[in-house]
Amino acid sequence: MAYFARRFAFFLATLWAAVTLNFLIPRLQPGDPAEAIVSRIGGKGQAVDPAQLEAVRTMLGAPGGNLFEQYVRYLGAVFSGDFGVSYSYFPYSVTHMIGEALPWTLVLVGVTQILSFVIGTLLGTWAAYRRNTRVDSVITLGSTFVGTLPFFWIALLLIYVFAITLRWFPERGGYGGGSSPGWNWLFISDAFQHSVLPGLALLITGPIGWIIGMRNNMVQSLGEDHARLAVARGLPERRIAITYGARIAILPNVTGFAIALGSILGGTVLVETVFNYPGMGRLLLESVSNKDFPLMQAIFLFTTIGVLIANFLADILYGFLDPRVRKAENS
Amino acid sequence: MRRSTTIRAVAFATAATLAVSGCTGTEQQSSGGTDGRVAFLDYGDFGGGSNPQANYNPYLDATRLGATDYVFEQLVVYDKYACEAKPWLATEYAWKDPKTLIWTLREGVKWNDGKPFTADDVVFTYELLKQHKALDNTGIWRYLSAVQATDAKTVSMTFGEPGAAAFTLFGEIKIVPKHVWSLVDDPVTFTNPEKPVGTGPFTVKAFNPQQLTLGRNPDYWQADKVQVDELRFHKADGGGQVDQLKLSRGEYDHNGMFVPDIKKTFVDRDPEHNHYWYPPGGSISFYMNLTKAPFNDTAFRKALLTAFNRQEIADKAQLGYVTPASQTALVVPGQAAWLPSDIPNQGVMGFDLAEADAALTAAGYPKNGQGKRLGKDGRPIAFTFRTPGEWTDWVQAGKIIVGNLTDLGFDVRQEGPTPQTYEADRAAGNYDTLLGVHGGSCNMFRNFQEPLASDQSAPIGKKALSNFVRWTDPRTDQLIETLRTATEESAQKAAVADLTKVMVDEVPMIPLWYGAKWFQYRTARAVGWPSEDNPYAAPGDNLLIITNLKPATAAK
Repeated sequence: MAYFARRFAFFLATLWAAVTLNFLIPRLQPGDPAEAIVSRIGGKGQAVDPAQLEAVRTMLGAPGGNLFEQYVRYLGAVFSGDFGVSYSYFPYSVTHMIGEALPWTLVLVGVTQILSFVIGTLLGTWAAYRRNTRVDSVITLGSTFVGTLPFFWIALLLIYVFAITLRWFPERGGYGGGSSPGWNWLFISDAFQHSVLPGLALLITGPIGWIIGMRNNMVQSLGEDHARLAVARGLPERRIAITYGARIAILPNVTGFAIALGSILGGTVLVETVFNYPGMGRLLLESVSNKDFPLMQAIFLFTTIGVLIANFLADILYGFLDPRVRKAENS
Repeated sequence: MRRSTTIRAVAFATAATLAVSGCTGTEQQSSGGTDGRVAFLDYGDFGGGSNPQANYNPYLDATRLGATDYVFEQLVVYDKYACEAKPWLATEYAWKDPKTLIWTLREGVKWNDGKPFTADDVVFTYELLKQHKALDNTGIWRYLSAVQATDAKTVSMTFGEPGAAAFTLFGEIKIVPKHVWSLVDDPVTFTNPEKPVGTGPFTVKAFNPQQLTLGRNPDYWQADKVQVDELRFHKADGGGQVDQLKLSRGEYDHNGMFVPDIKKTFVDRDPEHNHYWYPPGGSISFYMNLTKAPFNDTAFRKALLTAFNRQEIADKAQLGYVTPASQTALVVPGQAAWLPSDIPNQGVMGFDLAEADAALTAAGYPKNGQGKRLGKDGRPIAFTFRTPGEWTDWVQAGKIIVGNLTDLGFDVRQEGPTPQTYEADRAAGNYDTLLGVHGGSCNMFRNFQEPLASDQSAPIGKKALSNFVRWTDPRTDQLIETLRTATEESAQKAAVADLTKVMVDEVPMIPLWYGAKWFQYRTARAVGWPSEDNPYAAPGDNLLIITNLKPATAAK
């Protein structure tokens, strides 16, 4: 029990630190959001109109009070779920904008993460089970090779082949203009079509980490004494691999997977940028480049909280999966 | 950040290659609109970021959708190329005295919900901007003191001081209907999302974050001039590689974005229909910190007038899309009517290093034995020149500028800070030399007041509003004051002519090239776009352009 209590206390402390840093960091950055907005309206080749700057400053409103008062107000707002109004989508609220972007990322990245983990773990197990055979070399060498290719290059290659040359799938966006978001067949099939290429790009590169990690862990655990004993006792090879090798080898991957799921909230900036996908990654990139502090803060906060919660859950899960951890902390 | 720049560069290069290496163009639908009109035109992106939200509040410049330009109208519409005011919701305007302007409104104009447009709506609109400073983007209430309706068709505006100088500002306020906006709780956060009511040629037909469709307003007061049934906007990547690919495939009838090598990627793919016109915008100038030696010496600055190879900057750093700028701070040829007649070559300076060298030597800045240019203190002149490091075209231009200065014997170091640092240092006066943008608008008062008036300056270390070179000259201030209060065009022209002479004779800054306004168009479905041969409007003068377009078939 002490183990879980300790984990929880640690979680709360990290959460507080994250929320506080999240408040401080944007305020330490140079630059004025109003100026960023006005120069974006005009473009870099145009003179900035001081009157417009004044109007935008009035529109955004200046934060009142000293830093500490702002901090207290910020904490209150965070706990009541009020993240304010987005600067770059004024007058829409931050919550509204995140609500629009989040489903896209959750579905695309969530599904591909889970698939990547499953595919990666299975392939890794297979490679370790058939270690030092041709299957192992193909899987290990193949994934190492693909892993060295830059992600955006793979994504662009997919766009070039399937969207531009063959024109099987659309080259960008989350859905076409012809359908409107909603629970209708036209929109869902349209959104699916648009998700194929980004999903494929994520699935090509996603499983690699899991494959390598799983294979190496499992090869190692199959070389340990208890596994060799099992071989000596004449247990079936398959049973040794699954119950003695894979079960132990999967532990570090579970932690990794939990963290990966937690970080989904931040989106995948690269894939969403290359495919112009309307998810959290694009929103984050956009908020950073437009100095949209309220939006930026909220996305960072959600990402941090997501990772923290996932981490906490992984710790808890670990306690159940691996009794050694619990014991070590208790002694 | 560095990583993402590389990625974008690669993505961009790939897209450019794709665009060149033969992707088949999409089939064109022939125009099939009612009564021989164009069925639809595709205008590409509609603004509002990567996840646009319905926002038709015409005063929220940063986040409104481009559609508001076609839904709302103003009293006069400026042709921003020649800077001429065209009567629009007002048929006439007249100065009763220098502080009173009388507008006569057009008869028979209706809001798109059927209600009549009256003087009350105009008064309401101007009062709205008075109550909500956040909506007053051009600061008109700095000049106005009251707006009143004399009768249903007449509006009178009174000014605290003679108001002619600000005319371009208050004639171009989008007029909103009183019967809708007076019921709104907070106009600053009002997004006007359901069927925005305006007087304009189009209404919002359908919107989702991927596509915006505008339909022709059949009851528009000059409906016979609108020959297009539908305008479609698609979400793209705002001039990124996807947009460029679509442009080169001929999927857009009109767009306004930067395209590298436009001739090869766009025009050559369908020379009959694909065209572009990039008229000049504001001046991009060599700014010298006038509080430092030797830049505080007029003779020194004047000697530099012929030191820069403006043509090479325009051709090489700016891909030939722009033209060299006039030293007068006016945009030529569009604003040529404002030039004094005795200025040769419209004030565009040539490139002559020998002349610059001789002028520098005569001004007391000779070269020493090693070819180094010496200051009045006898030591070699060394200074820095900055452009934001990310703005590659400015960096390229900077290389030419620094090369020219080095040839004259100056020791110049080029620096490339981030845009934020660059802008902060420029405003605070923490620089030797850099590039600045000024002018280009149709408001002559603003064109000269912002970069040159002493009240726009500030001491070094304090943020200046817009006079970044810190030009303080009583005579200039006086001329700007004359320009501000002059109601007669001849008096305005005289003041502008004298100000252009200040630019040429005293050289507060050295204009090098004009920023271009991007404008690509296709004549497959519609003709009558503004162009170099027919510059009736500048890109972005959407109301003027849409009322001049005709079906392509009818023209042949």
